[in-house]
Amino acid sequence: MTAAVGGREPGRLATALGSPALRMVGKRALMAIPIVLGASILTFWVLSLIPGGAAQQLLGADATAEQIAALEQRLGLDQPGPVRYLQWLGGAVTGDLGNSVVSGQPVTPVLGARLAVTGQLVGMAFLISLGLAVPVALLAAHRPNHLFDRISMLVSITGLSVANYVLALLLVLVLAVQFTVFPAIGFVPMSESVAGNLQSLTLPAVAIAFPLFCFYTRFLRGDLVDQMQGEDYITTARAKGIGPWQVLVRHALRNSAFGLITVVGLNLGTLIGATVIIEQIFALPGLGQLLLQAINTRDFVVVQACVVVFAVIAVLANLVADLLYAVLDPRIRYGSR
Amino acid sequence: MAVADPTAGTPVPAAVAPAASRFRLLRYPDVAVPAGLLLLVVLACTAVPLLPGIPAPIGGSVLDSYLPAGSPGHLLGTDPNGNDILSRILHGGRSSLLVALSVNLIGLAIGGTLGALSGYVGGPLDTVIMRVLDVLIAFPSLVLTLAVAQSLGPSRLNTILALAFFSIPAFARIARAATLRLREQPFMAAAQLCGTSGRRILARHVAPNIAPQLITFGMLGAGIVMVIEGALSFLGLGIPPPAPSWGNMIAQGQQSLSATPMLVVWPCVALFVTVLACNLLGESLRDRWSGR
Amino acid sequence: MRRRHHLPALLLAAALVLAGCGGAADGGALDGPATPSGPPQSGGELTVLEDGAFAGGWPTGLDPATNTTGGANVTQMSAIYGGLFRLEADDDGANAAVVPHQAESTEIADEGRTVRITLREGLTFSDGTPFDAEAVAFNFRRAVDAPCTCSPNWPLAQDGIATDGPRTVVLRFERPYAAVINAMPVTNVNWIASPTALQEKGEDAFAIEPVGAGPFTVVSNQLSSELVLERNPDYFKEGRPYLDRLTFQSIGGDQPAYQALLAGQAQAYEGLTTTPLLDQARSQGRLSVAVQPATSPYVVQLNTKAAPFDDPRAREAIYAATDFDAIAQGLFGGEFPVSQSFTGPGGLFHSDAVPGYTGHDPERARALVGELGGLEVELGTLGSYVAQQVMTALQTQWQEAGITVRTETYELSTLVQEFNSGNWQSMLQTAGSWDPASGVGVNFRFNADSPFSGVADPELDALFDQAAASVDPAERQELYDAAGARIAEQHYAPFGLAFAPANLAAPGVYGPGLTTLIPPIVVNSGVHWDEVWREPQQ
Repeated sequence: MTAAVGGREPGRLATALGSPALRMVGKRALMAIPIVLGASILTFWVLSLIPGGAAQQLLGADATAEQIAALEQRLGLDQPGPVRYLQWLGGAVTGDLGNSVVSGQPVTPVLGARLAVTGQLVGMAFLISLGLAVPVALLAAHRPNHLFDRISMLVSITGLSVANYVLALLLVLVLAVQFTVFPAIGFVPMSESVAGNLQSLTLPAVAIAFPLFCFYTRFLRGDLVDQMQGEDYITTARAKGIGPWQVLVRHALRNSAFGLITVVGLNLGTLIGATVIIEQIFALPGLGQLLLQAINTRDFVVVQACVVVFAVIAVLANLVADLLYAVLDPRIRYGSR
Repeated sequence: MAVADPTAGTPVPAAVAPAASRFRLLRYPDVAVPAGLLLLVVLACTAVPLLPGIPAPIGGSVLDSYLPAGSPGHLLGTDPNGNDILSRILHGGRSSLLVALSVNLIGLAIGGTLGALSGYVGGPLDTVIMRVLDVLIAFPSLVLTLAVAQSLGPSRLNTILALAFFSIPAFARIARAATLRLREQPFMAAAQLCGTSGRRILARHVAPNIAPQLITFGMLGAGIVMVIEGALSFLGLGIPPPAPSWGNMIAQGQQSLSATPMLVVWPCVALFVTVLACNLLGESLRDRWSGR
Repeated sequence: MRRRHHLPALLLAAALVLAGCGGAADGGALDGPATPSGPPQSGGELTVLEDGAFAGGWPTGLDPATNTTGGANVTQMSAIYGGLFRLEADDDGANAAVVPHQAESTEIADEGRTVRITLREGLTFSDGTPFDAEAVAFNFRRAVDAPCTCSPNWPLAQDGIATDGPRTVVLRFERPYAAVINAMPVTNVNWIASPTALQEKGEDAFAIEPVGAGPFTVVSNQLSSELVLERNPDYFKEGRPYLDRLTFQSIGGDQPAYQALLAGQAQAYEGLTTTPLLDQARSQGRLSVAVQPATSPYVVQLNTKAAPFDDPRAREAIYAATDFDAIAQGLFGGEFPVSQSFTGPGGLFHSDAVPGYTGHDPERARALVGELGGLEVELGTLGSYVAQQVMTALQTQWQEAGITVRTETYELSTLVQEFNSGNWQSMLQTAGSWDPASGVGVNFRFNADSPFSGVADPELDALFDQAAASVDPAERQELYDAAGARIAEQHYAPFGLAFAPANLAAPGVYGPGLTTLIPPIVVNSGVHWDEVWREPQQ
């Protein structure tokens, strides 16, 4: 883990994209396919466990068994699970995620519009959490156990112990009701107004980002302190007379980035899961809102599509993390990570 | 549940510390203080409710609803159903701590074993286990928890099962990474050369050596489990009321947050103190165990 | 069997249970800045919030014949389609009556076996096609078989829907059904869709972008999320609607909705039920708060078809153990009256006291439980804030009387399963509607035919049928009083406080049902969107 990091190497990205790192990333990309497949099978299976079918939901409580059976046949729900899954998969690979059982709408275009909202929300939350965590962790690690470190720890732990929906409501009460800085609900598309768009997503993004920011800060600060206290290359760098800030940023941070990237990649599921709750509170027309409605109406086609999209995002993010490893250190051993 | 390896990058201890030295850790204030705080929380939630004179957490009279803090007999006031909030915090803590502990224990037992096995044996077994876990990690955890909780119905046991489902891959990842680092240690090679059986090496050498990292992670994850239990309650799952848990008290209280903020504040404070103690203890243990 | 009781009914019921407060002694209450400074003004836009768990959910679209949650979406449906009839009332909620809207007149003949509905002259849909008797008959035929509780329970005779000339539709029933008009405003037959547009677009596309003749037309529709409407220039009422644009937005609960209103991102919210927020909204005075006159009381349904409530003593014990007065006092600040029957004070045919109704009597309860050798019951409800609080209070009261109570909170779908299984014991629900014969009315909870009834009593069923058939209000009053007395005498189900949700509006927004009172015909009051207006912004 203690990779020595030299000075600037202009050809680093090029090196990273060449073999063998690229091959390793390619291998990881191939590996992503069975992961997404597995996730979709798992969803299919879990959904089959949920009581109450869409047919009954559509027909009402006093529908006869024959009526339900007839509708299930029309919807193809009478087929055995594996057959249905393969039929779904056949459509999915061509971009056709089926039609909503409840509304009859084709799922793919609906999902597209929703993904734009959630994608932007997740992106902003990600940038906010990471963009703040790195400087705060650096400042805290610069002088461990001093005032700033202690304050940042209290803030972080507050963030880890406050539910995001409570935070969301508090943010709205203060920044939308008391001081009308941001809107309390709603989504403004980028095409309508860029400023309005950013404004409409700020509070929800912060509500999602804050607990993650706290988590990343705690993690990165701990790792940085470890690096600074114990690693030989740090001692060497210091001996060479490099200033403490430079050591921290140029050397320790670069090394700690590996751990951080892993943590961020693995936490993407949490990030996405939070959208389910936050989109409810801020009335955002995103995937999370769609997913929750679809679960409640037993619209399994839509649920399936949402989960697969989420899984693809998570897998892609982990691929990007892999690529970042390669950029940061071409010699990284993929097999053992 | 959040997945992270907080111990990544820390060197592996050269050998297992004997049990006695574990208790010696309590001499250090950075371990003793949070440990004491945690013990206090646990005692408050388990023993205090047994004392006479503590009102019941459920079954209050609606005629006593919404009493303010400081009302006679109700230090923190009462909730909409006339139940004593302090008593609900204490009983609710028992529930929340039980969930956090159970989820961690299940994650530790199953995930830890899978991870250590995967890391130690390597090869195709490693690939299979890790890919299966990747599938779980690729999932938006709340989504699958939602589906599991919906299919099983809301109850404390089902909440634990649904949450444990997601602590397993996290523990497994950490156990595997720690085992991989451990494999490079000389004493492991020595054990193998001596012809010690794989099972014995796992039990006698791997398990005790990766335990500190897993325990540290469990400490940090405990708070997250309690918060996520509240998220489930927010979505109508989780621990079903009227039985209290910190999570469902917060989720219930937020429905009228602006009008009755204290219904949310008190359980949040309890959660904060607990998460603080867990985090501090986890980090101090990590520092001590890694010899810093 | 006429398909009448459907799952979306439970959605309605869910919201009814949700609707935990509102309604002063009998006429509801108005608070806040709701007096306009001048006459109504045209123009402006309005965003109205709807709870995603109820009116804010329209997963199957907005075609009257395929919308399975039509009963919850009355507000959107009337904005798009208008309505043949609607419920109007004085500003204080008094003198409520169902009046013709797109219809011009009705005529009931054959003692209620024939109903002639005549339309206004020259009506057109917003696509320009004629809104005539043929179009209405076409819609009626589609709507009566729709899978929605909002489809009417018409006892139609063979070929009972016919036209008589271009403007008159004739309904023929096999038995008298005089309640037909009062039931109209919450049934899907009230909303007339353009048959031409339906044919051209196809059912699926029409459900997303429906075409009617109401005050507004659809601009965009994201299911259960956002519905954007704009002024229909061809609306039949001169100078209406006032608003240029109306947006329905779904939101996840009362607290975020309340905050959004305060922050100015929305100007109205329908169906606030969380008691502490209602109090806060009133005391802050920044919004106008219209607590609608209550029509639907809580009811603890007892399953008389299975143990333990097939034993009348067990039912009487529940009556004696239940203290709804304390619940009304403790949870609702004593603001809402406790009803002894299936209507609230804001509804038709309400009587304050029911002869023979036995109230709270803990000693009697304990004695009965002793006589029975103990009593163990299971009490369920739908998962909502207010319903769970009431359920918890009931559990406590019953346990004090020596009854062992297990509580269960259901999801909509699991509740249906529970009802279908017939194994349920007691359920906390709401009963009634403005006219007991309409919507999720008294039949829903007490008629032997209903899957959501725990009672099978031919005598009671006969009373309900006669009451729905009669055209004479005095006779109906008598019959419903008799039904109430029968329920009390047999201890079929104790009733609780009657309530209705509140509508909130930002300052400068006015409209019937929003800043005036109209009894909720089922759950939320029918806001007259064509009359809603906004003072110009400074």
